[in-house]
Amino acid sequence: MTPAPHRGKPESGWAGRFEDELLRLGLQPGRARELTEETTQQAAESATAPDALFGPAHLYARHLLTELNTAPHPAIANPNPRPAPGPGPYLDPGPYLGPGPDLGPDLGPALDPGPSPGLGPGYGVGHGAVRLRLAGVSKRYRRRTVFSNVDLTVRAGEVTAIVGANGCGKSTLLRICAGLVRPSDGTVHRTRRVGFVPQDGGTAGWLTASEHFTLFGAAAGLAYRRARSTGEHLAGRLAWRPAPDQLAQHLSGGTRQKLNLVLGELHAPDLLLLDEPYQGFDQGTYLDFWRQVHAWRDAGKAVVVVTHLLHDLQHADHVYDLGAAA
Amino acid sequence: MVIAPRPWLHGFLDLCLLAMLHERPDYGYGLAQRLAAAGVADVPGGTLYPALLRLEQQGLAEPSWHPSESGPRRKYYAVTAAGRAALDTQVAEWHQFRDGIDQLVTAGAAR
Repeated sequence: MTPAPHRGKPESGWAGRFEDELLRLGLQPGRARELTEETTQQAAESATAPDALFGPAHLYARHLLTELNTAPHPAIANPNPRPAPGPGPYLDPGPYLGPGPDLGPDLGPALDPGPSPGLGPGYGVGHGAVRLRLAGVSKRYRRRTVFSNVDLTVRAGEVTAIVGANGCGKSTLLRICAGLVRPSDGTVHRTRRVGFVPQDGGTAGWLTASEHFTLFGAAAGLAYRRARSTGEHLAGRLAWRPAPDQLAQHLSGGTRQKLNLVLGELHAPDLLLLDEPYQGFDQGTYLDFWRQVHAWRDAGKAVVVVTHLLHDLQHADHVYDLGAAA
Repeated sequence: MVIAPRPWLHGFLDLCLLAMLHERPDYGYGLAQRLAAAGVADVPGGTLYPALLRLEQQGLAEPSWHPSESGPRRKYYAVTAAGRAALDTQVAEWHQFRDGIDQLVTAGAAR
C-alpha cells in the first residue's frame, strides 16, 4: 500500500497508483510515465473514469505489461486454449452439489437455503440470503491502520473478489471474515458453516491426504468412510487422485493447495473463503478451479476469493478493491 | 443484438482492429463502437487499449493526434505497410479457419 518512491511530479488518484505499480513492476520511469499519460488520455477520450474503464489501477498495470510483453500470434488455430480433459470424475456435475448421496444426513443442515440463525431476520432480502456481512470493519496493529471502515455484504450464489496491492491487508480481511482475526472496530456477521482455504499452511506434513480428510471430517461430524470418499471425490474434481501413502510434505505446492481446497469444502460450507488458492496450479487446473467456483455459486454457495490477477475478475460478480478503500 | 461470447474474440481482435483501421483511421472509443455495432463484441477498455498499444509497438499501426470538437484530443491510428501485410496474412488464416468450422458445422447439421 505504501507507494514506491519515484521522482517527478507525484500524482494522486488512479493515475498515481497506476504509475507506482508500473515502477514497482520494474518499468523504466520514462516508460512508466509515458504509459500513464497514454492511459489517462485513453480514459479521457472515452469520457470514462479510468477505474470504470480499466478496473483497479494496480491490476491494470500488471495486465497491460503482460499484454504488451505477449507476442500476439493470432490464436486462430486454438481459440479455446484448454485441451479437453480426459474422462474422469471431475467431468461429472457431481452429486455433492445438491443433497446427494455423498453428503447424506450428516451435512443436511448445511444445504438449507434459508438464512442462518446467526444472521437474524431481515438478512434474506435480496437475491440470495446474506452469508457474510461486514460493517465498518477496521484493523489496526498498534498505531498502524491496515484498513478502515470496510463494508462488505456477500450473498448466497455470488462470487466476490477482494483485490488490492500487496500489503493492503487482503489476507487479514479474509481472516477476519473467517473469524480467525478479531477486527479492531466494526461488526462481522457470518453464516454458521464457513470453509476457509489459506494461502499456504493449513495442512500437516506428516499426514496423508486421506488422513487429512478423516481428521477434518471428524471435526465436522463426518463419519470416517464418508469423509474419505467425499475428500477423494472432491479431489477428483480438481483432477487429482491422492496416492494412498504419500505424506502431505511430499506433495508439490500446487497439489498441497488442492488438498487445502478440498479440506475447505469437505463439510459443504455455505460460505467459502479462499486466499489465492491456486498458487502453483497449472493452467488446466486453474480453469478447473474456476469451473469449481462457478459450480459452488450455481449451487447457492457464497464465495469470497482474494486475488491479484485481473483475469480472475471476469469470474467474479462483485469486486471489492481494498486498496481503494483504505 | 446477440454478441458472441467474449472468448471467441480472443485471437481475432488484432485482425478486427487492423481491418477496421484499414477501412479508415479511428481512435479507441470509435473502434469499440464499430465492434459493437457489427455485433462482434463489447470489448472492455482493458482489452482494447492494450491491443492498440501493442499494434503501435509492433509498427503495425501508426498514431496521430487529432483535436475533437467535444472534449480532449484523440489518438487516431492508421495501418502501416507492415500492418497491411499482417492484415493480409491474418485474413487468409481467418478464411481458412472459418471455412473449416463451416464445413464441420454444416456436416453436423446435415445429419
